[in-house]
Parts: sequence; structure tokens; C-alpha cells
Amino acid sequence: MSASLKPTAPAERAGQQPTIAYDGVVKRFGSLTVLNGVSAEVYKGEVVCLIGPSGSGKSTLLRCTNGLETVDGGRVLFDGGVVPSDQELIRRVRQRMGMVFQNFELFPHMTALDNITVGPTTILGEKAASARERGLALLDKVGLRQKADAFPSALSGGQQQRVAIARALAMNPEVMLFDEPTSALDPETIGEVLNVMKRLADEGMTMLVVTHEMTFARRVADRVLVFDHGRIVEAGPPEQIFENPQQERTRDFLGHLGWNG
Amino acid sequence: MNLDWGIIWQYRWDLAHGVGITVALTVLTMLIAVPGGIAIMMLRQSRYRVLRGLGTAYVEFFRNVPLILLVYWAFYVLPILTDIQFSAFTTGLVALSLNVSAYNAETIRAGIASIRKGQLEAALAMGMSHSQAMRKVLIPQALRRILPVLASTWVSLFKDTSLVSVIAVGDLAHTALQIRSQTFRVLEMLTAMAAIYWALGYPQAKLVDWIHRKYGVTE
Ligand SMILES: Nc1ncnc2c1ncn2[C@@H]1O[C@H](COP(=O)(O)OP(=O)(O)OP(=O)(O)O)[C@@H](O)[C@H]1O
Ligand SMILES: [Mg+2]
Repeated sequence: MSASLKPTAPAERAGQQPTIAYDGVVKRFGSLTVLNGVSAEVYKGEVVCLIGPSGSGKSTLLRCTNGLETVDGGRVLFDGGVVPSDQELIRRVRQRMGMVFQNFELFPHMTALDNITVGPTTILGEKAASARERGLALLDKVGLRQKADAFPSALSGGQQQRVAIARALAMNPEVMLFDEPTSALDPETIGEVLNVMKRLADEGMTMLVVTHEMTFARRVADRVLVFDHGRIVEAGPPEQIFENPQQERTRDFLGHLGWNG
Repeated sequence: MNLDWGIIWQYRWDLAHGVGITVALTVLTMLIAVPGGIAIMMLRQSRYRVLRGLGTAYVEFFRNVPLILLVYWAFYVLPILTDIQFSAFTTGLVALSLNVSAYNAETIRAGIASIRKGQLEAALAMGMSHSQAMRKVLIPQALRRILPVLASTWVSLFKDTSLVSVIAVGDLAHTALQIRSQTFRVLEMLTAMAAIYWALGYPQAKLVDWIHRKYGVTE
């Protein structure tokens, strides 16, 4: 599937409501301003990659999206509504967004399958049998059906992360947030996780991905946002960012990574 | 000095009955005080300040009052407060449960604090409420981690149940002391009492050591 088949540039989306919109988002930790007026949109079916140096605020933006952090200024909108800070109201939003963490954060006292079914049964009140059936199908989808009864400690990093993706998908989210999903992995298992993500993207999942995997961003992203010091310094399709970056900061950052177009 | 060890054999069924009461007190107290500890810990994490204060007050009070005082207090005050005359056994059970719940609340709190933040965040990010995250994700992990501490509490509790003998609960200590005062066989009965507590307590302590090795935090 070619990225050009998707209407991706915001200009082409005129009139359509973005799935996620950041409107001048400011976030401070004490005297440190971590997000300094971030504005961006993510449209349905888009894959948007966030890249940028360590500490530039990428994770923080992701965490503001599902309310794990509250914003100090500006707004985060999901499906046209402001993401609430009320602990009860935010749950509705979170149920519609899946999140995948750098350290997987699988629940170690549950099997792979139970990790996947605990959300639907606890939060959505789905019947155990039906959750189990869907859970097995999701494990199938990430290539781990045979590991249904394995505990996380018996799985490799790549396998754990694939279970974590299945766990997030079990809630039938409209958006998936990934925070450096492959950064904690051994090089040989990175590929299997990226493949699962690529397939998800091909199925049309809306994805916001913080990553240091430039090859993935280049291949899969519809748009790339370059972060530096709490701001988006450049945004554009991967062809622009990786082959013809407009900003000095982008060139610097990619240069440091040894990326040369 | 003439010793009559036969006295122990003679009273074996009374002593056995006392052992039964001691074991029952220990088991029932723990059955109450683990959920009790969880409840008080949850109270301390409530978003309402009054409830938080109540939880803290509970823990600070019951942890710092000598258990024997609590036993007397339950014996004299509980019937007045509730207008119900409890049996000595129930009174002892209440006093022990109040005390051990306070300890367990702190243990469980420490256990939960030791779980890395990402676990709670993963649960919340799925859309769980705080109490669902507690129930499904944090408490089960915490209980596993604090199993060694709970086991140590268990062994202390087993010995501390002897304190309820002061209100005539027919536990092992009370039974042995009763026999002592009826027969004037002080040395024999105290020795027998020590031997029985030790014989029952030692395997428990060994079991605790084993639990420590098996379930000690490895992360
Ligand atoms: N809870 C917090 N309290 C204080 N400072 C924080 C907190 N979370 C993040 N920060 C700081 O905010 C800044 C941005 O952090 P963030 O994790 O968003 O960066 P990042 O772009 O994801 O970096 P990385 O690539 O290393 O993951 C950093 O300087 C970090 O130390
Ligand atoms: Mg980060």
C-alpha cells in the first residue's frame, strides 16, 4: 500500500475534523517548560511519527493526549472535544485510545491472554468467553497465539511488546499511541514489532508514534513532526523531512543520528 | 525438687484444645486483617481528605497502642459501645484484628509503592478507574511481593495471640496457666507451654524463610 493513496496533507483535509488536535499546548514541570505551545493535528487513518532529541517533549505530548499528564496551557482535543482532566470523564477518552509503552508494562501476574482480556472484561463488562475468543484472535494477529498461557517473564522483549499491542487493541481503540515501542528491545526483535505496527498502519489505524527508528518513520509515516525544546520545529511528509529538510534543527538532529537521506 | 512431667500427659486434651484455639485465633485474625488492611490502605488513598485522615488516624492509633491494652480495651469498652456482650474469643479476635489490620495496611501500602509507576499508568491508559487498577493490577502484585512480610506478621501473631489469655480466652497460654494454678506445677507447665509454642512456631518460621527465598522481590 502506498502512502500517497491516503489523503494525508492537512490542506487536503480541509473541513474534516481531526481525530486529535493540539492547540497551543503548554506543559511545565516546575520551572521547566517541556511543551512550549505545540499545535498539530492527527487525522483519521493517519500515521504521524514524532521524532526529535531526547528530552524535547515527545513523550510528554503523548501523555497529555490521554490525560496521563494535564496541560498547563492550550488544549488537547479528541474527536472534537477537549480531553477532560476529570478522572471519571477521562476514562471514556482513554477507552478509545490505546497506548503502548517503551517498557511494555504488561501485567506480570497475568498470562498473555489475561493481559489482553482484563481490559474488556473489567472496563467494558464483556463476557469472559467472548473476550477470550477475541483475545486469542488478537494474539493470532501479532503471531503469538501459542503463547496465550505464557506469563510475560517467559516472553522475549519483542514478544512482550507484541502482546502489549494486542492488549491495547483489545479495547477497540480509534487511535494508537506508541511511545518508543522498540527502544527497550534487542536489535533482533525490533523488526517483529515494527512489522506488527506496519500492518496496523496498513489496516488504516490512526497512529501517533514517538520513535527513534528513522527507517520506520520514513517508510510508514504519513507525516513526521520534528520536536526540539518543546516545540515542533518542522512538520511534513517523510520525503520532505528525510530528503529535503527545511529547517536547520531538523538537519542537525538527523545529522547526529547519522541519517544521510 | 520433684518434677511431675506426667501432669502434661494428664492434661493433654486441654492443652490440645488450647492449641486449637490459638491456631483458630491466628487464622481468623489473618483472614480478617488482610482484607482489613487492604480496606484501610484504600481509605488512606481516597480522594476525600476526611477518609484519608480517618485511615491515617486508624493506622497511627492501632499500631502505637500496646496490644495488651487493646485487648483490655476491647474487653471492657466494646460491650458498652455496641451494647452486645461478646464472647472472650470474639473480643480477643477483634483486638487482634484491629492491631494486625493496621500493620497490614502499612505493609500493603509499601508493597504498592514498590510497584513501578508504569503499571498503574498502563492500567489507567486502558480506561480503568483507580479502584479497578488497584483491584486488578496493583493489589495482586503487591500481595505477592509482601508475602514474606505477611508471613513474618503471621508468626508474630501466632505468638502474640497469647496476650488474649488475660481475658480468659481458652487459648494455649491461658489453658497452660490455668492448669498451672490448679496443680501448682509451675515449672512443668511453663516448660510445656514454651515447648508447644516452639514446636508449632519453629516450622512456621522455617516456612517463612522458605517463602522469603521463593518470593523475595527479584525485580
Ligand atoms: N514527571 C516529570 N517531572 C519532571 N520533569 C519531567 C517529568 N517528565 C518529564 N520531565 C522532563 O521533561 C522533559 C521532556 O521529557 P520527555 O520525556 O517528554 O522527553 P522525550 O522527548 O520523550 O525524550 P526521550 O527521547 O528521552 O524519551 C525532560 O527534560 C524531562 O526530564
Ligand atoms: Mg520519551
